[in-house]
Amino acid sequence: MSIFTPTNQIRLTNVAVVRARRAGKRFEIACYRNKVMGWRSGSEKDIEEVLQTHTVFVNVSKGQVAKKEDLVKAFGTDDQTEICKTILSKGELQVSDKERHTQLEQMFRDIATIVAEKCVNPETKRPYTVILIERAMKDIHYSVKPSKSTKQQALEVIRQLKENMKIERAHMRLRLVLPQKEGKKLKEKLKPLIKVVESEDFHDQFEIVCLIDPGCFREIDELIRCETKGKGTLEVVSLKDVEEGDEKFE
Amino acid sequence: MVLASVGKTVQLQKKTENIRNICILAHVDHGKTTLADCLISSNGIISSRLAGKLRYLDSRADEQIRGITMKSSAISLHFEKGDQEYLINLIDSPGHVDFSSEVSTAVRLCDGCIIVVDAVEGVCPQTQAVLRQAWLENIRPVLVINKIDRLIVELKFSPQEAYSHLKNILEQVNAVTGALFTSKVLEERAEKETGTQIISDSVPGDQVYDWSAGLEDTDDSHLYFSPDQGNVVFASAIDGWGFGIEPFAKLYSQKIGIKPAVLLKTLWGDYYLNTKAKKIMKGDQSKGKKPLFVQLVLDNIWSLYEAVMKRDKDKIDKIITSLELKIGAREARHVDPRVHLNAICSQWLPISEAVLSMVCNKLPSPLDITAERVEKLMSVGARTFDSLPPETQDLKNAFMKCSSEETAPVIVFVSKMFAVDSKALPHNKPRPLTQEEIAQRRELARQRHAEKLAAIQSQELPEKALCGNAPETTGKTGETKGDEQQLTSQIEVMTLKTVKQEADNKESFIAFARVFSGVVRKGQKIFVLGPKYDPSESLHKLPLGCSAEADLPSVPYMACCILENLYLLMGRELKDLEEVPSGNVLGIGGLHEFVLKSATLSTSPACPPFTPLNFEATPIVRVAIEPKHPSEMPQLVRGMKLLNQADPCVQVLIQETGEHVLVTAGEVHLQRCLDDLKERFAKIQISVSEPIIPFRETITRPPKVDMVNEEIGKQQKVAVIHQTKEDQNKIPEGVQVDSDGLITISTPNKYATLSVRAMPLPEEATRLLEENSDLIRTMDQFNASLNEDKKTHEINQKTLDKIQEFKQKMEQNLQGRKWRNAVDQIWSFGPRKCGPNILLHRFEGYKKSVWQCLDKTTKEVSKYRDFDNSIVSGFQLATLSGPMCEEPLMGVCFIVEKWDISKVEEIMSTKRQQSEECDATEWKQDEDEATCLSRSHITECSSEDKEFKGSSQGSPKSSEKSSKRKGEALLADCYGPFSGQLIATMKEACRYALQAKPQRLMAAMYTCEIMATAEVLGRVYAVLSKREGRVLQEEMKEGTDVFIIKAVLPVAESFGFADEIRKRTSGLASPQLVFSHWEIIPSDPFWVPTTEEEYLHFGEKADSENQARKYMNAVRKRKGLYVDEKIVEHAEKQRTLSRNK
Repeated sequence: MSIFTPTNQIRLTNVAVVRARRAGKRFEIACYRNKVMGWRSGSEKDIEEVLQTHTVFVNVSKGQVAKKEDLVKAFGTDDQTEICKTILSKGELQVSDKERHTQLEQMFRDIATIVAEKCVNPETKRPYTVILIERAMKDIHYSVKPSKSTKQQALEVIRQLKENMKIERAHMRLRLVLPQKEGKKLKEKLKPLIKVVESEDFHDQFEIVCLIDPGCFREIDELIRCETKGKGTLEVVSLKDVEEGDEKFE
Repeated sequence: MVLASVGKTVQLQKKTENIRNICILAHVDHGKTTLADCLISSNGIISSRLAGKLRYLDSRADEQIRGITMKSSAISLHFEKGDQEYLINLIDSPGHVDFSSEVSTAVRLCDGCIIVVDAVEGVCPQTQAVLRQAWLENIRPVLVINKIDRLIVELKFSPQEAYSHLKNILEQVNAVTGALFTSKVLEERAEKETGTQIISDSVPGDQVYDWSAGLEDTDDSHLYFSPDQGNVVFASAIDGWGFGIEPFAKLYSQKIGIKPAVLLKTLWGDYYLNTKAKKIMKGDQSKGKKPLFVQLVLDNIWSLYEAVMKRDKDKIDKIITSLELKIGAREARHVDPRVHLNAICSQWLPISEAVLSMVCNKLPSPLDITAERVEKLMSVGARTFDSLPPETQDLKNAFMKCSSEETAPVIVFVSKMFAVDSKALPHNKPRPLTQEEIAQRRELARQRHAEKLAAIQSQELPEKALCGNAPETTGKTGETKGDEQQLTSQIEVMTLKTVKQEADNKESFIAFARVFSGVVRKGQKIFVLGPKYDPSESLHKLPLGCSAEADLPSVPYMACCILENLYLLMGRELKDLEEVPSGNVLGIGGLHEFVLKSATLSTSPACPPFTPLNFEATPIVRVAIEPKHPSEMPQLVRGMKLLNQADPCVQVLIQETGEHVLVTAGEVHLQRCLDDLKERFAKIQISVSEPIIPFRETITRPPKVDMVNEEIGKQQKVAVIHQTKEDQNKIPEGVQVDSDGLITISTPNKYATLSVRAMPLPEEATRLLEENSDLIRTMDQFNASLNEDKKTHEINQKTLDKIQEFKQKMEQNLQGRKWRNAVDQIWSFGPRKCGPNILLHRFEGYKKSVWQCLDKTTKEVSKYRDFDNSIVSGFQLATLSGPMCEEPLMGVCFIVEKWDISKVEEIMSTKRQQSEECDATEWKQDEDEATCLSRSHITECSSEDKEFKGSSQGSPKSSEKSSKRKGEALLADCYGPFSGQLIATMKEACRYALQAKPQRLMAAMYTCEIMATAEVLGRVYAVLSKREGRVLQEEMKEGTDVFIIKAVLPVAESFGFADEIRKRTSGLASPQLVFSHWEIIPSDPFWVPTTEEEYLHFGEKADSENQARKYMNAVRKRKGLYVDEKIVEHAEKQRTLSRNK
C-alpha cells in the first residue's frame, strides 16, 4: 500500500462528477466539465476526452476508490472502463456552466423560431423574423424554463409579447358547412370564437368562410361535431393566413 | 466679383443662348467639390479665402466628415465674359463608385460636363466610368487637369518632367475617349452588317470583304482633348489658380512678337523657341531644348512656387509688381506660405475665370442640343424614333428650338427626388419676429398660463379635501407664481418648439429637374408621365389637343398634377421662383405623390417618357434591417418608403420571411442609406444584419466513388481504426428499414401500416415542376371543386391545354424502368400542394390522380378514400421541413408502396354495426371522444400544436363527411384521432425514407456578371474561387480591353462579395448579381472518413472544411435546433477554476 504523500497524489481539477446508485451503493466517476452531455449526445466519441481517470470512486472529492467486490456486485464486471461507460450513460450528472448556457440558448432560439412561425404582424399580415422576436423576448426579460417544453413556452411568450408589440397568431382560414336547421343556432355560439367572417352563404346549407385564432380550433371543431351530430362539416382552407411572395416598394 | 441676386438670375434665365448647364465629373478625390467651391466663390456666395476648404455643396454632415460627396447638388452661377453675361447651372456630382447613380441623374440634366483629372493619379476607374457616361448621354466634355501644385510641392518635379507627365495624362484620357469612339463605330457597323447581310445573301457574287471597319471614314478629331483646341485647363483648385493656354498665348505674342494664332497652336506640343531667330521650331526633344509650354508657362509657375515656399521676399515682391497684383498684408505675413500663394495665384490666374470662360466657349448652350441626343432621349428601350407617333415626332422640333414662348409645349425631365427638411424651404424659413409679434405671443402665453393655473387650482381643491399631500403642490404653485416671468418665457419657447417640431417631422421632396422646352409656371397643371407611359397608346384615347386642365379619362402611367412650388437651386439653399423658362435646371416641390424616382412632365400627352437613366452600378449589397424596438415597425416601413423615393439607386423590399431588405450599390452607399433612415426618414434605432439565406434539402443517388475517388465497396472498411460512419440518424424501434431504403412504419395504435420510399427526381423534372407551380395550384383548386361536387370552377380550354402539355413534358422527363407509369400515379405535389416534390401511390386498388381535371371524372369510391387526405397532409408537412435543417425539400419523390388499413376496416365495420344497433350509443361515443379530446388537449398541451395541425389537416374534404366523422369517432383512442395519427406517421415515414438515402443540401445561386479589365482578371478569379464561385464563360468586349465574365456564386457566400471584389481590383471590376437557380452542394453534410485512404487523406476528424456541413450547422444554430458540435473541443484546455495547490 502506497503512502499518501503530496508527491504521489494525483489532484483532479475541473471535475464534473457523475453519480449512479447500484446495489445500494453510490458510485462516482470523475469527468471533465462540459463534456458529459457531449458524450451522451454522441458528438464526443473519445472517452479520454470525457473521463479524467478510468477509476470508479465511491467519493470523488475524498478520493475514495470503489472496492472491487462492490463493483462486481453492482455491475457484474470489474472492468473499470466499462463501468465508467455505464455510469456515464445512466448516472445523474452535474450540468456544467457552458452546457447549461448552450442548452438555454438553444431553447431560447427554438422558442423564438416557433413564435416567428406561428405569428404575424396583424397590420401587414407578414411574419416577423426570428431575430426580431428574440430581441423582443429579451426586451420583456423572458427567462427560459428548462423544464417546460419549448412549444408551451412559445405560447406563453406570444401572450406576453402582445402587450408590447403588434403581434398576433396567424389566423386559420376555415370553411364551415352547417345544416340549415342548426345553422342559426350554432352561429350565435360560434360568433365569439370567429375573428373575421369572410363570406356567408345561405343556400340549402349554411356556409361560412372565416378566420379564427388557431387556439379556438378544437373548441369550434367540438362544437360543430356535437351540435350537429356529425352533419356539419369543417374544412381548413389554410393553416396560416400570411402574405406570400416578396413585395417591392414602388 | 458680383453677388448675383435672384432677380438677376431670373433675368438671365430667359436668355437661353447664354445658359450653360454643366456638371463636374471625376474619380473620387480628384477635386470636384473644391473646384466647385472656387467657382462659387467667384460669385461671392462664399469667401474666396474659404474656397476649397468649405466644400459648400457638401451640405450633409456625413459628407463633411467623410470628405466625399454623396449626392449631386446644383447651384446657379453668374459669369460675365466680355459684354456677354452667362448663367451657369453647375451640378456637382459624387465621384465614389457607390454613388454613380447620382452621376447619372446629374448628367441627364446637362449639356456639357467638366471632367476633372488628378495630375498625379491620372486616369482612374471612375474617370473612365464618367467619360463613358458622358459619352452615352451625348454630352460634350471639357477637361480640367487639377492638383498641379502636387507635382511641384509633393513630387518635386522639374517643369520638364511635369510637362511630360501632363502630356501622358492627356494621352490616357484621349485613349479612353478613343476606345469609346471605336466601340461605338464597331457597334454601328455590326448593326449595319446584319442589315446588309440579308441583302447580300440574295445577291451572290460580289463578296469583297471590307476590312476598313469604318474607322477611317469617321472623323473623331473633335472628340479629343487638346490644349490648343481650348478644351483643357491646367489648374490647382486648392490654390485657386488655373489657366488655359489662350491667355498665355496672348500675353507672349506681344512679348515675343509672334502671332497669337501661331502661338496658340504651338504652345502645347513638341515645339521650342529659337530665341536668336525668334522663331518657333519643331522637335524640341531631339535637340534637347525646352518645349514652349515649359519655357513660357510652367517655368513661371515653378519659380513663383519656389519663391513663396522659400519666403524669398525680394523675389515675391518682384513677381507681384511685374504681375501688377495687390496682395493684402495679412496674407503676406501669414505663417502658412500656402495662404500667401493662394492670394497671389488666385489674382494672377483666377481659376473661375479660366474654367468658366472655357465652359462658355466650348460647351453648348441648351439651344445647341443635337438631334441625335433628342432622338436618343425620346426613344425608350428598343423602339426607334421613327416608330413613335407623328405627334411625338413633332415634339422633336420643340426640343431643338428650346424656346421659351408661351405656345411651346412644356417638357420637363425629373431625374431624381431629393428630400429636404421642411424648414429649409423658403416659405417655411424662420424669419426674425417683429417686436409686436413678440409682445403678442407673450400675451398669449401669459393667458394660457393663467388658464392653466386656474385649472390646476380648481383641480386641487377637491384633492385637498381628499388627501394630505396638498401642501406640497400648493407650495409648488406658489413658487411658480413667484417667477411667472421666467415661466412665460419658457412656455413661449416651448410653443415655438412644438411648432418647429411639426415642421421638422416632415421631409419635403423636391424634384431635381430641367426644362427642355416651354415655360414652367408656379401653379401650372401638367401631365406626369411615368417611365412606362406609352404615348401611342394614350393618344387615341385622349381628345386631340387636350390640355392637363380638362377632365380626362385615366391613362396608365399618366397623372395630372399642379406644380406647387418652383425653386432655384443654390446648393443647400432654395429660392422661390414664379416661372422658369426653357433650358434651366430647377427644383419642383409638391410632386412626391406623383413621382417615385424619375419622370417626365409635359403639357402635351404626346410627349414620350425619356429613356431611363443609365446606371453604371446596380444595387447588389443586400442587408436585412430591423427596428431595435419591435414596436417601431410602422415607422421603419414608412422610412424605407421615403428612402426609396429619395435615392435613385436603392431597392427596398419585404421578403416572404418578413425580412425588410435594403439593396444598395456598395458599403458607403449602404452607410449613407442607414444614416438617412436613422436620422431623417424613420428616426428610430435600427439594427442591420446579414439577410437570411434560404436552402433546400434533397437526396441523390448513392455515390459510386468515395472522397478519394476510390470505388466504394472494393476496399476494406477500416472501422477498426477509429470510427465507422455511424448512422447519425438513429432510427427508433418499430421502424423497419430495407437495404434499398423502403421504410415500413405503423401508426401508434397499430391499426395501419405504411411503406414509403424516397427517390431523387431528375433535374429537368424538378425544374419543370418549379416553373409550373402556378399551373399546379390551379389544378389543385379545380380538383378540389370537382370533389366537392358543386360550384364547379369553370376551367378554360387554354389552361386545360397547358395542363395536358405539362403532363406530357413530365412523362418525357420521367422515363426509365423506375418511373414506369409514374406520371399517372402522381398523388400530390408538395409543399403547399404546388412545390417541386411529388407523392406517388404504388399500391393496389387506388385510382385517384391529380390529372382528374383532364378527364373530368369525379372521385371513385374506394376503401382508402376516408383517409387519403391524411396521407397527403403528412406528405405536405414532411416536404415543408426536411430532416437536415428544417428547410423545404426539393426534387424528391416519395412513393407509397403499401398501405395496409385492413384492421381499421374490420374495426370500423364491427363498430358501425354496433352503433347502428342502437342509435343512442352514438351520442355516447361522440361524448366519449369529446372528453378524450379535451383531456388530451389539457394534458398534452405541449403537443397541442402538432395535434391540431394533424386534426386540422386531416379534416376530410369529401362531401359525405358525416360517415367519415363517425368512422373517425369510432377509431379515436388514447393516441388521439386516427387521422392525426396517420398524418404524423406519414410525416415520420417520409423523414426516415429521406434519411435512408444520401441527403444533400441545395444552395441558392446567383449568376454574377463581372466587367473587368485584363490586368485585374486574375484577382477577380481569386475572389470568385475563394467564395466557391465558378466561372462559366469569359468574353472580351469588342473594341475595348474589357472582359465580361459570367460566373455562378452561392448566395450564402455573397455577403461582402461586391466590396471585396472592388477592393481587390482597385475598383476596376464591377459585379452584378441576379438570383438564378438552386444547385446541389456536392459534399455530404454527414460525411466522415471511413476507409483507409480517406482516413489517410483527411485525418481522423476530417478537419478540412465541409461546405455543406458548415451551411447546415449555421441554419440549425439559427433555428435553435440541436447542433452536433462539441461545446468544448479539448477537455484539458478549459480554464481552471479551483485554487492552484
